[in-house]
Amino acid sequence: MKKTIIPFGPQHPVLPEPLVLDLILDDEKVIDAVPTIGYIHRGLEMMVERVEYTEMGFVVERICGICSFMHGMGYAVSLESIMNVEVPERAKWLRLIWAEISRVQSHLLWLGLGADAFGFENLFMHCWRMREEVLDIFEKTTGGRIIHSVNRIGGVKRDVSDSELAAILARLQELAKAFEETARIFASDPSIAHRLGGVGVLSAADALETAAVGPMARASGIRTDTRLYGANLYDQIEFEPVVETAGDCLARAVVRMREIPQSIDIVRQAIEKMPKGEGLPLENKPRGNPVGETFTRLEQPRGEVLYYVKANGTKYLERFRARTPTFANIPAMIKLVKGCDLADVPNIILTIDPCISCTER
Amino acid sequence: MDREPFLARVEGYHKGGWRLALINAASVLTADEAEQGAVDVTWAFARDAEFEHIRERIMPGDEVPSISPSFSAAFLYENEMRELFGLNVTGINVDLQGQLYKTSQKVPFSPSAIRARLEANAAAGIASATMPVAGAPAHGAAKPAAIAPAAAPAPAASKPGAAE
Repeated sequence: MKKTIIPFGPQHPVLPEPLVLDLILDDEKVIDAVPTIGYIHRGLEMMVERVEYTEMGFVVERICGICSFMHGMGYAVSLESIMNVEVPERAKWLRLIWAEISRVQSHLLWLGLGADAFGFENLFMHCWRMREEVLDIFEKTTGGRIIHSVNRIGGVKRDVSDSELAAILARLQELAKAFEETARIFASDPSIAHRLGGVGVLSAADALETAAVGPMARASGIRTDTRLYGANLYDQIEFEPVVETAGDCLARAVVRMREIPQSIDIVRQAIEKMPKGEGLPLENKPRGNPVGETFTRLEQPRGEVLYYVKANGTKYLERFRARTPTFANIPAMIKLVKGCDLADVPNIILTIDPCISCTER
Repeated sequence: MDREPFLARVEGYHKGGWRLALINAASVLTADEAEQGAVDVTWAFARDAEFEHIRERIMPGDEVPSISPSFSAAFLYENEMRELFGLNVTGINVDLQGQLYKTSQKVPFSPSAIRARLEANAAAGIASATMPVAGAPAHGAAKPAAIAPAAAPAPAASKPGAAE
């Protein structure tokens, strides 16, 4: 049969952001896929040439509207590492709490998008309704629902009172309870199992070979999570990464689903362990201009993000680079698409939780 | 760069169970005539909490061998380096032939492109970074740059099961 090339994207019902895959088909089977990105390449890394390092964090936050807090945090941690700035303990805990709340809202967003993609509109609405509650928490504590601008080099801009933290935890725990029903549907609904089960199976060996990160790797049985390595106070948190072994689309959904209550529990632990009181220091401002290079690793909702920062002693950085988890997961996604049925391509692409804004910067 | 020892070292990481974490290019901004057009390329590998890298300075015209025979996922980074920095990466397993990014400016991060932008900014009075000037202290000369893996210290020994 004659080979056919079908462009998938840049506009497609399952894609919130533009991505193109030229799918080369043999009948209904995909035999190759060629990615093209760049539709939303904004040149944010180039902006280090014109934006001073003290302001660049606000640009970095705008890499992505879902991971914006953790992008800002990663930038701040990188500069703190170069400039040897010790961050006050309460600020570190607040960062950890906001990071985990980010994970909750990101996974709820993805579960909703996933449900929408496989035609479960009701589930989509449930997930997004719950996500709105998490965004309310962000709005109340940082002032912004999407872009928070709360990270500073050396700490955080705003405190959250102990009573407010207790109220947030209560609200999150209620949400975790409400989410149990949604999780039960995800795990047991036969139409979801039929649509996602056994589709797009990534073996553990392939996950390693393609350098997959985050839930993508954990759904294939690999116990990997940057939080395990203890930085940013995670050494004081008791948690075990969520690992599934099936490696299919359903396993990737289940990993994210199970990580939601886990992140809420991490928030609980953080609130219990953080120093209490009003007026505690939140920021140690850096002095002078940074000199040096650093790599920073964080566990974003989609997996390990890597920042490279090179500073030359002026107020402008020489190089800033963000290697986002979606960028790292694209080779795995292409591997999965090869050999699958055309009808399964949307779900396979969606279950890597692609963030194209992050990928292109 | 010495091609064979480099590829052998990369393969050593592959056999040792390391994951390709990042390939990063950074144009070298310097007033030193001998270094004009140079790009520093860093291949970073991770194995749990461990994080190591190889750094090579690539001069204009140098060939950068693809590491995709060892790490198949390298193709995305290598195509990116070629498109954004103009590096001559050879032997990529998935050669996207300049189709990865749709940028209006070709090779926007090459040393010459950065120099041109910064000089244009200076001529137009736009506040921006500046190129180092010959005879003046080099940017960052006061303290040699050293790579320190941030935010990834060794796992706390007191916490069982903190690392694989």
